[in-house]
Amino acid sequence: MGRVIMGVVTSPARRPDDAAGDADVMRRIRAGDRTAIDDLYARFRRPAFALARRILADDALAEDVLQEVFLSVWKEPAAFDRARGSVASWLLAVVHHKAVDSVRREESQRRRQAQAEDEMALDAPTATRDVEDDAWSRVVAEQVRTAMGALSAPQREALTLAYYGGYTQREVAALTGTPLGTVKTRMLAGMRRLKQELGGAGGAGALGAWPAEETQ
Amino acid sequence: MKSPDHQGYDELAVGFALHALEPEDEAEFARHLPGCARCAAVVAETTEVMGAMAADLPQAEPSEALGARLREAVASTEQVHRPTAPPATDAPRAVPPAGPPAGPAVVPAPRRTRALSLALVAAAVAAVVGLGVWNVGLRSERAELSSTVAEQQDVVDALLSPDRVVLDPLGEDGRPVATVVPQDGDIEVVTHGLAVNDAASTTYVVWGVGDDGAEPLGTFDVERSQTELRTVGSGLTGLDDYPQYAISLEPGREAPSDPTEVVATGQVTS
Repeated sequence: MGRVIMGVVTSPARRPDDAAGDADVMRRIRAGDRTAIDDLYARFRRPAFALARRILADDALAEDVLQEVFLSVWKEPAAFDRARGSVASWLLAVVHHKAVDSVRREESQRRRQAQAEDEMALDAPTATRDVEDDAWSRVVAEQVRTAMGALSAPQREALTLAYYGGYTQREVAALTGTPLGTVKTRMLAGMRRLKQELGGAGGAGALGAWPAEETQ
Repeated sequence: MKSPDHQGYDELAVGFALHALEPEDEAEFARHLPGCARCAAVVAETTEVMGAMAADLPQAEPSEALGARLREAVASTEQVHRPTAPPATDAPRAVPPAGPPAGPAVVPAPRRTRALSLALVAAAVAAVVGLGVWNVGLRSERAELSSTVAEQQDVVDALLSPDRVVLDPLGEDGRPVATVVPQDGDIEVVTHGLAVNDAASTTYVVWGVGDDGAEPLGTFDVERSQTELRTVGSGLTGLDDYPQYAISLEPGREAPSDPTEVVATGQVTS
Protein backbone atom coordinates (compact mmCIF):
# COMPACT_ATOMS: atom_id res chain seq x y z
CA MET A 1 0.00 0.00 0.00
CA GLY A 2 1.08 3.55 -0.59
CA ARG A 3 3.40 5.01 1.99
CA VAL A 4 1.99 8.47 1.81
CA ILE A 5 -1.48 7.22 2.45
CA MET A 6 -0.31 5.10 5.36
CA GLY A 7 1.39 8.19 6.70
CA VAL A 8 -1.98 9.74 7.24
CA VAL A 9 -3.28 6.70 9.04
CA THR A 10 -0.22 6.01 11.14
CA SER A 11 0.67 9.49 12.28
CA PRO A 12 -2.29 10.61 14.31
CA ALA A 13 -2.53 14.38 14.39
CA ARG A 14 1.09 14.59 13.35
CA ARG A 15 3.00 15.29 10.22
CA PRO A 16 4.15 12.31 8.18
CA ASP A 17 7.80 13.36 8.41
CA ASP A 18 7.67 13.03 12.18
CA ALA A 19 7.86 9.25 11.88
CA ALA A 20 11.59 9.13 11.21
CA GLY A 21 12.22 11.36 14.21
CA ASP A 22 10.03 9.14 16.38
CA ALA A 23 12.03 6.07 15.39
CA ASP A 24 15.24 7.91 16.19
CA VAL A 25 13.96 8.82 19.66
CA MET A 26 13.09 5.16 20.27
CA ARG A 27 16.63 4.15 19.25
CA ARG A 28 18.06 6.59 21.80
CA ILE A 29 15.77 5.23 24.50
CA ARG A 30 16.92 1.71 23.69
CA ALA A 31 20.49 2.91 23.98
CA GLY A 32 19.75 4.08 27.53
CA ASP A 33 19.58 7.83 26.89
CA ARG A 34 17.31 9.22 29.62
CA THR A 35 16.86 12.57 27.88
CA ALA A 36 15.23 10.74 24.98
CA ILE A 37 12.19 10.05 27.14
CA ASP A 38 11.77 13.82 27.49
CA ASP A 39 11.75 14.04 23.72
CA LEU A 40 9.26 11.22 23.36
CA TYR A 41 7.08 12.90 25.98
CA ALA A 42 7.31 16.23 24.17
CA ARG A 43 6.23 14.59 20.95
CA PHE A 44 3.31 12.59 22.29
CA ARG A 45 2.09 14.13 25.53
CA ARG A 46 -0.79 15.95 23.87
CA PRO A 47 -2.37 13.14 21.83
CA ALA A 48 -1.65 10.68 24.64
CA PHE A 49 -3.28 12.95 27.22
CA ALA A 50 -6.21 13.67 24.92
CA LEU A 51 -6.87 9.95 24.53
CA ALA A 52 -6.42 9.04 28.19
CA ARG A 53 -8.69 11.80 29.47
CA ARG A 54 -11.30 10.97 26.89
CA ILE A 55 -11.45 7.39 28.17
CA LEU A 56 -11.09 8.23 31.86
CA ALA A 57 -13.00 11.52 32.02
CA ASP A 58 -10.59 12.48 34.78
CA ASP A 59 -7.44 14.54 34.29
CA ALA A 60 -5.60 13.18 37.34
CA LEU A 61 -6.19 9.56 36.36
CA ALA A 62 -5.22 10.39 32.80
CA GLU A 63 -1.92 11.85 34.00
CA ASP A 64 -1.28 8.71 36.04
CA VAL A 65 -1.77 6.66 32.90
CA LEU A 66 0.67 8.83 30.97
CA GLN A 67 3.25 8.49 33.71
CA GLU A 68 2.80 4.71 33.70
CA VAL A 69 3.04 4.47 29.92
CA PHE A 70 6.11 6.64 29.41
CA LEU A 71 7.88 5.02 32.33
CA SER A 72 7.10 1.59 30.90
CA VAL A 73 8.53 2.67 27.54
CA TRP A 74 11.72 3.73 29.32
CA LYS A 75 11.93 0.47 31.24
CA GLU A 76 11.25 -1.78 28.32
CA PRO A 77 11.68 -0.05 24.95
CA ALA A 78 12.11 -3.48 23.33
CA ALA A 79 8.32 -3.86 23.57
CA PHE A 80 8.14 -1.61 20.53
CA ASP A 81 10.37 -3.93 18.53
CA ARG A 82 7.75 -6.61 18.80
CA ALA A 83 5.10 -4.35 17.34
CA ARG A 84 4.51 -3.53 13.73
CA GLY A 85 3.79 -0.11 12.42
CA SER A 86 4.63 3.35 13.62
CA VAL A 87 5.86 4.52 16.98
CA ALA A 88 2.82 6.80 17.17
CA SER A 89 0.17 4.13 16.73
CA TRP A 90 2.02 1.73 19.03
CA LEU A 91 2.37 4.30 21.79
CA LEU A 92 -1.24 5.40 21.53
CA ALA A 93 -2.34 1.75 21.62
CA VAL A 94 -0.42 1.32 24.86
CA VAL A 95 -2.04 4.48 26.23
CA HIS A 96 -5.43 3.16 25.18
CA HIS A 97 -4.81 -0.21 26.82
CA LYS A 98 -3.63 1.28 30.13
CA ALA A 99 -6.39 3.86 30.21
CA VAL A 100 -9.00 1.18 29.62
CA ASP A 101 -7.47 -0.92 32.40
CA SER A 102 -7.60 2.12 34.62
CA VAL A 103 -11.20 3.00 33.85
CA ARG A 104 -12.25 -0.57 34.56
CA ARG A 105 -10.45 -0.41 37.90
CA GLU A 106 -11.35 3.05 39.05
CA GLU A 107 -14.68 4.14 37.83
CA SER A 108 -17.91 3.28 39.53
CA GLN A 109 -20.44 1.41 37.47
CA ARG A 110 -22.96 4.15 37.92
CA ARG A 111 -20.69 6.78 36.52
CA ARG A 112 -19.78 4.58 33.61
CA GLN A 113 -23.41 3.96 32.90
CA ALA A 114 -24.11 7.68 32.81
CA GLN A 115 -21.11 8.25 30.62
CA ALA A 116 -22.18 5.50 28.26
CA GLU A 117 -25.40 7.33 27.67
CA ASP A 118 -23.39 10.42 26.87
CA GLU A 119 -21.16 8.44 24.54
CA MET A 120 -24.12 7.16 22.64
CA ALA A 121 -25.76 10.54 22.54
CA LEU A 122 -22.58 12.03 21.17
CA ASP A 123 -22.12 9.13 18.81
CA ALA A 124 -18.94 10.74 17.55
CA PRO A 125 -16.00 12.54 19.08
CA THR A 126 -16.48 16.10 20.12
CA ALA A 127 -15.11 19.00 18.17
CA THR A 128 -14.20 21.32 21.01
CA ARG A 129 -10.56 22.12 21.50
CA ASP A 130 -8.83 22.91 24.75
CA VAL A 131 -5.72 24.06 23.00
CA GLU A 132 -5.24 25.53 19.58
CA ASP A 133 -4.69 22.85 16.95
CA ASP A 134 -2.50 23.54 14.03
CA ALA A 135 -3.78 23.21 10.50
CA TRP A 136 -2.33 19.77 10.01
CA SER A 137 -4.11 18.38 13.07
CA ARG A 138 -7.37 19.83 11.84
CA VAL A 139 -6.91 18.18 8.46
CA VAL A 140 -6.25 14.79 10.03
CA ALA A 141 -9.13 15.16 12.47
CA GLU A 142 -11.42 16.09 9.61
CA GLN A 143 -10.35 12.98 7.68
CA VAL A 144 -11.07 10.79 10.66
CA ARG A 145 -14.43 12.41 11.23
CA THR A 146 -15.33 11.92 7.59
CA ALA A 147 -14.28 8.28 7.82
CA MET A 148 -16.34 7.79 10.97
CA GLY A 149 -19.23 9.35 9.13
CA ALA A 150 -18.97 6.66 6.46
CA LEU A 151 -19.80 3.96 9.00
CA SER A 152 -23.31 2.74 9.61
CA ALA A 153 -24.72 4.15 12.84
CA PRO A 154 -24.52 0.79 14.67
CA GLN A 155 -20.90 0.31 13.55
CA ARG A 156 -19.97 3.80 14.70
CA GLU A 157 -21.72 3.27 18.01
CA ALA A 158 -19.94 -0.05 18.66
CA LEU A 159 -16.48 1.31 17.82
CA THR A 160 -17.08 4.55 19.70
CA LEU A 161 -18.09 2.72 22.86
CA ALA A 162 -15.15 0.32 22.62
CA TYR A 163 -12.43 2.76 21.62
CA TYR A 164 -13.36 6.06 23.25
CA GLY A 165 -15.41 4.53 26.05
CA GLY A 166 -13.21 1.55 26.90
CA TYR A 167 -16.12 -0.88 27.02
CA THR A 168 -15.75 -4.60 26.36
CA GLN A 169 -17.69 -6.28 23.62
CA ARG A 170 -20.10 -7.76 26.16
CA GLU A 171 -20.62 -4.35 27.73
CA VAL A 172 -21.28 -2.85 24.33
CA ALA A 173 -23.78 -5.61 23.66
CA ALA A 174 -25.58 -4.89 26.94
CA LEU A 175 -25.52 -1.14 26.47
CA THR A 176 -26.89 -1.30 22.95
CA GLY A 177 -29.28 -4.21 23.45
CA THR A 178 -27.52 -6.18 20.73
CA PRO A 179 -26.38 -9.82 20.67
CA LEU A 180 -22.66 -10.22 21.40
CA GLY A 181 -22.02 -11.90 18.06
CA THR A 182 -23.53 -8.97 16.21
CA VAL A 183 -21.34 -6.53 18.16
CA LYS A 184 -18.23 -8.49 17.17
CA THR A 185 -19.25 -8.47 13.52
CA ARG A 186 -20.02 -4.75 13.64
CA MET A 187 -16.63 -3.92 15.09
CA LEU A 188 -14.83 -5.88 12.38
CA ALA A 189 -16.96 -4.44 9.60
CA GLY A 190 -16.55 -0.94 11.01
CA MET A 191 -12.78 -1.31 11.28
CA ARG A 192 -12.60 -2.55 7.69
CA ARG A 193 -14.58 0.43 6.54
CA LEU A 194 -12.45 2.88 8.50
CA LYS A 195 -9.32 1.29 7.10
CA GLN A 196 -10.67 1.69 3.60
CA GLU A 197 -11.68 5.28 4.20
CA LEU A 198 -8.38 6.23 5.79
CA GLY A 199 -6.05 4.05 3.79
CA GLY A 200 -7.41 4.58 0.32
CA ALA A 201 -10.13 2.97 -1.74
CA GLY A 202 -7.93 -0.02 -2.58
CA GLY A 203 -8.41 -1.28 0.92
CA ALA A 204 -5.29 -3.41 0.73
CA GLY A 205 -4.17 -5.28 3.81
CA ALA A 206 -5.56 -8.01 5.98
CA LEU A 207 -8.40 -5.92 7.39
CA GLY A 208 -9.64 -4.64 4.08
CA ALA A 209 -8.90 -7.63 1.91
CA TRP A 210 -12.47 -8.84 1.98
CA PRO A 211 -15.67 -6.93 1.62
CA ALA A 212 -17.09 -5.75 4.87
CA GLU A 213 -20.07 -7.97 5.33
CA GLU A 214 -22.63 -7.28 7.91
CA THR A 215 -25.95 -8.96 8.09
CA GLN A 216 -27.75 -5.97 9.41
CA MET B 1 -9.62 -16.92 -0.46
CA LYS B 2 -9.53 -17.41 3.24
CA SER B 3 -11.21 -20.30 4.92
CA PRO B 4 -14.73 -19.20 5.82
CA ASP B 5 -14.25 -19.65 9.55
CA HIS B 6 -11.40 -17.15 9.71
CA GLN B 7 -14.03 -14.46 9.93
CA GLY B 8 -14.33 -15.39 13.61
CA TYR B 9 -10.62 -14.83 14.15
CA ASP B 10 -10.74 -11.54 12.24
CA GLU B 11 -13.41 -10.43 14.68
CA LEU B 12 -11.33 -11.55 17.65
CA ALA B 13 -8.27 -9.78 16.25
CA VAL B 14 -10.12 -6.47 16.07
CA GLY B 15 -11.53 -6.92 19.57
CA PHE B 16 -8.10 -7.86 20.85
CA ALA B 17 -6.49 -4.73 19.44
CA LEU B 18 -9.32 -2.67 20.95
CA HIS B 19 -8.71 -4.39 24.32
CA ALA B 20 -12.41 -5.21 24.30
CA LEU B 21 -12.48 -9.01 24.34
CA GLU B 22 -14.17 -11.08 26.98
CA PRO B 23 -11.75 -13.30 28.94
CA GLU B 24 -12.75 -16.51 27.18
CA ASP B 25 -12.27 -14.88 23.78
CA GLU B 26 -9.00 -13.35 24.91
CA ALA B 27 -7.73 -16.79 25.95
CA GLU B 28 -8.83 -18.37 22.68
CA PHE B 29 -7.25 -15.64 20.62
CA ALA B 30 -4.03 -15.74 22.62
CA ARG B 31 -3.74 -19.41 21.70
CA HIS B 32 -4.37 -18.73 18.03
CA LEU B 33 -2.38 -15.55 17.41
CA PRO B 34 1.22 -16.81 17.66
CA GLY B 35 0.83 -19.04 14.61
CA CYS B 36 -1.28 -16.78 12.44
CA ALA B 37 0.31 -14.13 10.25
CA ARG B 38 -3.09 -12.97 9.06
CA CYS B 39 -4.30 -12.22 12.56
CA ALA B 40 -1.01 -10.49 13.31
CA ALA B 41 -1.68 -8.25 10.32
CA VAL B 42 -5.28 -7.55 11.34
CA VAL B 43 -4.15 -6.59 14.85
CA ALA B 44 -1.47 -4.31 13.41
CA GLU B 45 -3.84 -2.63 10.97
CA THR B 46 -6.51 -2.15 13.62
CA THR B 47 -3.87 -0.56 15.82
CA GLU B 48 -3.03 1.87 13.05
CA VAL B 49 -6.68 2.83 12.60
CA MET B 50 -7.03 3.29 16.36
CA GLY B 51 -4.07 5.66 16.22
CA ALA B 52 -5.91 7.69 13.63
CA MET B 53 -9.08 7.71 15.75
CA ALA B 54 -7.05 9.32 18.52
CA ALA B 55 -6.49 12.26 16.18
CA ASP B 56 -10.08 13.33 16.43
CA LEU B 57 -10.04 14.29 20.07
CA PRO B 58 -9.87 17.63 21.83
CA GLN B 59 -6.16 18.22 22.14
CA ALA B 60 -5.09 19.06 25.67
CA GLU B 61 -1.98 19.73 27.69
CA PRO B 62 -1.17 17.67 30.74
CA SER B 63 0.07 19.67 33.72
CA GLU B 64 3.67 20.79 33.81
CA ALA B 65 4.12 18.84 37.00
CA LEU B 66 3.63 15.61 35.09
CA GLY B 67 6.74 16.21 33.00
CA ALA B 68 8.78 16.73 36.13
CA ARG B 69 7.24 13.70 37.81
CA LEU B 70 8.07 11.54 34.82
CA ARG B 71 11.66 12.81 34.65
CA GLU B 72 12.10 11.98 38.32
CA ALA B 73 10.69 8.48 37.89
CA VAL B 74 12.89 7.81 34.86
CA ALA B 75 15.97 9.03 36.74
CA SER B 76 15.43 6.43 39.43
CA THR B 77 14.39 3.55 37.20
CA GLU B 78 16.70 1.10 35.51
CA GLN B 79 15.89 -0.39 32.15
CA VAL B 80 14.91 -4.03 31.88
CA HIS B 81 17.21 -6.07 29.72
CA ARG B 82 15.45 -9.30 29.09
CA PRO B 83 17.55 -12.41 28.68
CA THR B 84 17.62 -13.80 25.17
CA ALA B 85 13.98 -14.49 24.57
CA PRO B 86 13.13 -13.34 21.10
CA PRO B 87 9.49 -13.50 20.13
CA ALA B 88 8.65 -16.92 18.77
CA THR B 89 6.87 -15.49 15.76
CA ASP B 90 6.38 -12.16 14.12
CA ALA B 91 3.10 -11.76 15.92
CA PRO B 92 2.62 -8.12 16.80
CA ARG B 93 2.80 -6.78 20.28
CA ALA B 94 0.94 -3.63 19.51
CA VAL B 95 -0.69 -3.69 22.90
CA PRO B 96 0.51 -5.26 26.12
CA PRO B 97 -0.16 -8.84 25.21
CA ALA B 98 -1.70 -11.78 26.91
CA GLY B 99 0.73 -14.56 26.19
CA PRO B 100 -0.48 -17.93 25.09
CA PRO B 101 -2.03 -19.73 28.04
CA ALA B 102 0.32 -21.93 29.98
CA GLY B 103 -0.13 -25.64 29.84
CA PRO B 104 -1.04 -27.59 32.92
CA ALA B 105 2.51 -27.21 34.22
CA VAL B 106 2.70 -26.52 37.91
CA VAL B 107 6.07 -24.78 37.82
CA PRO B 108 6.60 -22.88 34.57
CA ALA B 109 9.22 -20.18 34.19
CA PRO B 110 8.44 -17.62 36.90
CA ARG B 111 8.48 -14.49 34.78
CA ARG B 112 6.19 -15.99 32.19
CA THR B 113 3.75 -17.20 34.80
CA ARG B 114 3.67 -13.78 36.37
CA ALA B 115 3.04 -11.96 33.12
CA LEU B 116 0.46 -14.46 32.05
CA SER B 117 -1.30 -14.39 35.37
CA LEU B 118 -1.49 -10.62 35.31
CA ALA B 119 -2.97 -10.65 31.85
CA LEU B 120 -5.57 -13.21 32.81
CA VAL B 121 -6.35 -11.45 36.05
CA ALA B 122 -6.96 -8.33 34.01
CA ALA B 123 -9.21 -10.36 31.78
CA ALA B 124 -11.09 -11.72 34.78
CA VAL B 125 -11.50 -8.23 36.15
CA ALA B 126 -12.88 -7.14 32.82
CA ALA B 127 -15.37 -9.99 32.99
CA VAL B 128 -16.53 -8.96 36.43
CA VAL B 129 -16.93 -5.37 35.39
CA GLY B 130 -18.75 -6.56 32.30
CA LEU B 131 -21.22 -8.44 34.46
CA GLY B 132 -21.77 -5.25 36.39
CA VAL B 133 -22.93 -3.28 33.43
CA TRP B 134 -25.11 -6.16 32.42
CA ASN B 135 -26.72 -6.11 35.84
CA VAL B 136 -27.12 -2.37 35.72
CA GLY B 137 -28.90 -2.79 32.45
CA LEU B 138 -31.27 -5.36 33.86
CA ARG B 139 -31.93 -4.11 37.35
CA SER B 140 -32.22 -0.48 38.19
CA GLU B 141 -33.24 -0.62 41.84
CA ARG B 142 -30.79 1.43 43.78
CA ALA B 143 -30.27 -0.94 46.70
CA GLU B 144 -29.66 -3.89 44.46
CA LEU B 145 -27.36 -1.87 42.32
CA SER B 146 -25.19 -0.66 45.15
CA SER B 147 -24.91 -4.12 46.68
CA THR B 148 -23.98 -5.56 43.29
CA VAL B 149 -21.34 -2.91 42.85
CA ALA B 150 -19.97 -3.52 46.34
CA GLU B 151 -19.68 -7.26 45.67
CA GLN B 152 -17.92 -6.61 42.42
CA GLN B 153 -15.54 -4.24 44.09
CA ASP B 154 -14.58 -6.96 46.56
CA VAL B 155 -13.92 -9.38 43.74
CA VAL B 156 -11.90 -6.82 41.83
CA ASP B 157 -9.91 -5.90 44.92
CA ALA B 158 -9.10 -9.56 45.48
CA LEU B 159 -8.10 -10.11 41.86
CA LEU B 160 -5.79 -7.11 41.98
CA SER B 161 -4.28 -7.84 45.39
CA PRO B 162 -0.48 -8.00 45.27
CA ASP B 163 -0.69 -11.09 47.47
CA ARG B 164 -2.88 -13.07 45.14
CA VAL B 165 -1.94 -16.51 43.89
CA VAL B 166 -3.45 -17.58 40.59
CA LEU B 167 -4.30 -21.26 40.40
CA ASP B 168 -3.96 -23.15 37.15
CA PRO B 169 -6.01 -26.27 36.54
CA LEU B 170 -4.40 -29.67 36.20
CA GLY B 171 -4.75 -31.45 32.90
CA GLU B 172 -7.11 -28.88 31.46
CA ASP B 173 -6.67 -26.26 28.81
CA GLY B 174 -4.48 -24.19 31.06
CA ARG B 175 -6.78 -21.30 31.88
CA PRO B 176 -6.59 -20.30 35.52
CA VAL B 177 -9.71 -21.31 37.38
CA ALA B 178 -9.23 -19.58 40.70
CA THR B 179 -7.30 -16.85 42.46
CA VAL B 180 -6.55 -17.07 46.16
CA VAL B 181 -5.48 -14.14 48.28
CA PRO B 182 -3.91 -15.55 51.45
CA GLN B 183 -4.04 -13.26 54.45
CA ASP B 184 -2.91 -14.04 57.94
CA GLY B 185 -6.36 -14.86 59.27
CA ASP B 186 -8.33 -16.00 56.24
CA ILE B 187 -8.12 -16.69 52.57
CA GLU B 188 -10.17 -15.05 49.88
CA VAL B 189 -10.93 -17.38 47.00
CA VAL B 190 -12.18 -15.98 43.72
CA THR B 191 -13.40 -18.73 41.43
CA HIS B 192 -13.58 -18.01 37.73
CA GLY B 193 -14.10 -21.32 36.01
CA LEU B 194 -14.19 -24.04 38.67
CA ALA B 195 -16.98 -26.52 38.05
CA VAL B 196 -20.07 -26.27 40.22
CA ASN B 197 -19.90 -28.98 42.89
CA ASP B 198 -22.66 -31.01 44.49
CA ALA B 199 -22.88 -29.22 47.82
CA ALA B 200 -24.79 -32.11 49.39
CA SER B 201 -22.06 -34.69 48.95
CA THR B 202 -18.81 -32.93 47.99
CA THR B 203 -16.75 -29.91 48.96
CA TYR B 204 -13.82 -27.97 47.59
CA VAL B 205 -10.82 -27.66 49.92
CA VAL B 206 -8.07 -25.04 49.82
CA TRP B 207 -4.64 -26.45 50.75
CA GLY B 208 -1.46 -24.74 51.77
CA VAL B 209 1.44 -26.75 50.36
CA GLY B 210 4.84 -26.56 52.08
CA ASP B 211 7.82 -28.73 52.85
CA ASP B 212 5.79 -30.83 55.24
CA GLY B 213 3.08 -31.63 52.73
CA ALA B 214 -0.39 -30.21 52.28
CA GLU B 215 -2.46 -28.66 55.08
CA PRO B 216 -6.21 -28.15 54.62
CA LEU B 217 -6.99 -24.45 55.18
CA GLY B 218 -10.72 -24.30 54.57
CA THR B 219 -13.64 -25.55 52.52
CA PHE B 220 -16.02 -23.91 50.09
CA ASP B 221 -18.66 -24.72 47.48
CA VAL B 222 -18.99 -23.39 43.95
CA GLU B 223 -22.63 -22.55 43.35
CA ARG B 224 -22.45 -21.05 39.91
CA SER B 225 -20.01 -20.91 37.07
CA GLN B 226 -19.69 -17.12 37.12
CA THR B 227 -17.00 -15.38 39.08
CA GLU B 228 -17.55 -15.67 42.81
CA LEU B 229 -15.70 -14.54 45.91
CA ARG B 230 -15.52 -16.73 49.01
CA THR B 231 -13.72 -16.19 52.28
CA VAL B 232 -12.49 -19.42 53.88
CA GLY B 233 -10.47 -20.51 56.89
CA SER B 234 -11.51 -17.71 59.22
CA GLY B 235 -10.16 -18.13 62.71
CA LEU B 236 -6.89 -19.78 61.79
CA THR B 237 -3.59 -17.94 61.56
CA GLY B 238 -0.49 -18.21 59.41
CA LEU B 239 -2.51 -18.89 56.30
CA ASP B 240 -0.19 -16.75 54.23
CA ASP B 241 2.94 -18.76 54.99
CA TYR B 242 2.86 -21.30 52.16
CA PRO B 243 4.89 -21.20 48.94
CA GLN B 244 2.16 -22.98 47.04
CA TYR B 245 -1.60 -23.37 47.21
CA ALA B 246 -3.90 -26.00 45.79
CA ILE B 247 -7.60 -26.69 45.52
CA SER B 248 -9.05 -30.19 45.62
CA LEU B 249 -12.53 -31.58 45.21
CA GLU B 250 -13.36 -33.97 48.04
CA PRO B 251 -16.11 -36.49 48.65
CA GLY B 252 -18.07 -35.68 51.80
CA ARG B 253 -18.36 -32.32 53.51
CA GLU B 254 -15.16 -32.33 55.59
CA ALA B 255 -11.58 -31.70 54.58
CA PRO B 256 -9.58 -34.95 54.72
CA SER B 257 -5.99 -35.00 56.00
CA ASP B 258 -4.63 -35.38 52.48
CA PRO B 259 -6.11 -34.15 49.21
CA THR B 260 -7.94 -36.75 47.14
CA GLU B 261 -8.31 -35.07 43.77
CA VAL B 262 -6.29 -31.88 43.26
CA VAL B 263 -7.96 -29.76 40.58
CA ALA B 264 -5.77 -26.66 40.57
CA THR B 265 -2.46 -25.43 41.93
CA GLY B 266 -0.57 -22.18 41.99
CA GLN B 267 2.76 -20.88 43.26
CA VAL B 268 3.32 -17.70 45.20
CA THR B 269 5.17 -15.64 42.66
CA SER B 270 6.08 -12.47 44.50
